[in-house]
Amino acid sequence: MVFILGINFSERKMVAKALQGFFGIGPSVSRTIMAHHHIHKTCRIGQLSQDQVVSMQSELSNMTIENNLRRKILDNIKRLRDIGAYRGRRHAMNLPVRGQRTRTQIKTATKLNRVERRL
Amino acid sequence: MASIPVRPCLRRVSRALAESNPRDTHAHLTNPLRRWTGSTLPRASSSSPFSTSTRLAAAAAASSTRRTGSTLKISRKSNAPTSGGKPPGRGERKAFRKKIVLSNANALEVDGLGELSPRAVADPAAHCRVLALPGAVVDQLRLLGAFKPTQGWKYFRRPATLMRAESLRLASVVDGMAEGKEPFRAIVSGERGTGKSALLTQAMAMALLKNWVVISIPDPKDLILGHTDYAPLPDTEPQLYFQKAYTARLLYNTARANRDVLREHTVSQAHPGLPSSVSPDMTLDRFAQLGARDSDFAWPVFRALWAELTKPGLGRPPVMLALDGLASLAGPTEYLSADVKPIHALDLAQVRHFFEQLAGRSLGGPLAAEQRLPNGGAVLAALSQSERPPRTHTAAVELAVAQNEARAAAAEGPPARPYDRDIDHRVYDALREVRALKVGALSREEARALVEYYAKSGALMAPVSEAFLAEKLALAGGGVVGELERGTVRAGL
Repeated sequence: MVFILGINFSERKMVAKALQGFFGIGPSVSRTIMAHHHIHKTCRIGQLSQDQVVSMQSELSNMTIENNLRRKILDNIKRLRDIGAYRGRRHAMNLPVRGQRTRTQIKTATKLNRVERRL
Repeated sequence: MASIPVRPCLRRVSRALAESNPRDTHAHLTNPLRRWTGSTLPRASSSSPFSTSTRLAAAAAASSTRRTGSTLKISRKSNAPTSGGKPPGRGERKAFRKKIVLSNANALEVDGLGELSPRAVADPAAHCRVLALPGAVVDQLRLLGAFKPTQGWKYFRRPATLMRAESLRLASVVDGMAEGKEPFRAIVSGERGTGKSALLTQAMAMALLKNWVVISIPDPKDLILGHTDYAPLPDTEPQLYFQKAYTARLLYNTARANRDVLREHTVSQAHPGLPSSVSPDMTLDRFAQLGARDSDFAWPVFRALWAELTKPGLGRPPVMLALDGLASLAGPTEYLSADVKPIHALDLAQVRHFFEQLAGRSLGGPLAAEQRLPNGGAVLAALSQSERPPRTHTAAVELAVAQNEARAAAAEGPPARPYDRDIDHRVYDALREVRALKVGALSREEARALVEYYAKSGALMAPVSEAFLAEKLALAGGGVVGELERGTVRAGL
């Protein structure tokens, strides 16, 4: 078992998959992080050296991911709402923000856009 | 909406009774149909309306009306496994796919089948003869990955190869190699199925018989697919990368295949940076095993082993480097550098080492390995036509090979294409002057010897006549050995 950013990963888990478990890291960012530390694409957690784990930890801790990223996104929406921007209002009214038609197909906006938006 | 009252249906009731378990005495409490049927079943035979025995008797009577014999079952799709048996474990499928079978107890023993020996290597009379590989050499070749699962070894009693003109040429190289002689470096080229890989196998077998050290990279794709670990080599400009797990496996196979030769030589110089367990009287076999065991030292040990093997004046054996599938290495790889750009294959230390040996010169940069091979040797790289990488990889190799083939034939080759985007110029520059050893169709005599061997092995049941041979040769592209085998041995099985 290896701790990365406070999460315990099994040694069999692939590094790319483990990284993509963090909110804010997808295939592209995980590829970049792995390239920074010279980790090959089929590497598993158990194959990482201690140095690689430590340096990857320090890179991850400097990135805006997980709760920091969630907070940042919510703050951005809140700022739009507070200055009375059109986009802020649309967020608050459960409506599409980027000029989509509202006659049909606004399920995603209705589902996600709230005054107290959750991520 | 008003609910529709359920009307009693006698047939349905009796079927429900038949299907319910007559032994379940509490079923009438839970099954509403059952509960309800109690009041509507004919009670002619019952003495008491609340007797359970009558109900059980009725159920037994209903079940006796069930049809006997086979019934049609229309099964629904289910997620349950259809048949028993364990699914293959991890790696089993691949192991089965890569399985190499080198003998066939059903094939006939061929009378008068000669064996490849150090003397036969030097014998020009071996031309057009099929010679078996000695058992010990077969084991060594297996470790070196010289046999491919697609080749037809499994049809014959024991592995044997045809001594064709190209084999004799390599035989004369192996036989005539001596300390101080110029090493033989060549790219083995040719059409698909012409026997490039088999020629490489023969060359390795002959080298092993002559007590050379043979280092083989049988599947170079493994070096570039990004499936083994890699790390930057410190203090190199341009930045090189080494693959410790791959190198460790290469050292392991090399040490095991060449054990007897390596045991005769000991470490002769100090190698800074290696573990303290390296002693001056250590045999090269144990030295290589050291790198194989501890992959952190695999690359330094490989370099040191190369330095030891290429040290002049100590009576070191000649070295053969063999690689099958050169074009895989001729371009960018799946590995990424720290700035997220693909690493070129020539920036991988193991690949660069091979290319420098093949080219016989340094390609510039930090890897100052001994390229002259002062104790003699050979560097052979075969092309593979069945596993062709994209054109961006093959174009440079094919252009260099076409030019070198033309040069060997004293003809005018294709011009360089400096503005062709698909040409990898680093690869082209490295391979520009490497000799091409073209493997073509078999001659008629060679083909006859081979087909007669097929017939004697029992793999070919037809009598070998001139007309038969002419037909098979015509169908095999005029003597492409892979097609000839397909048309004779595989077609009959």
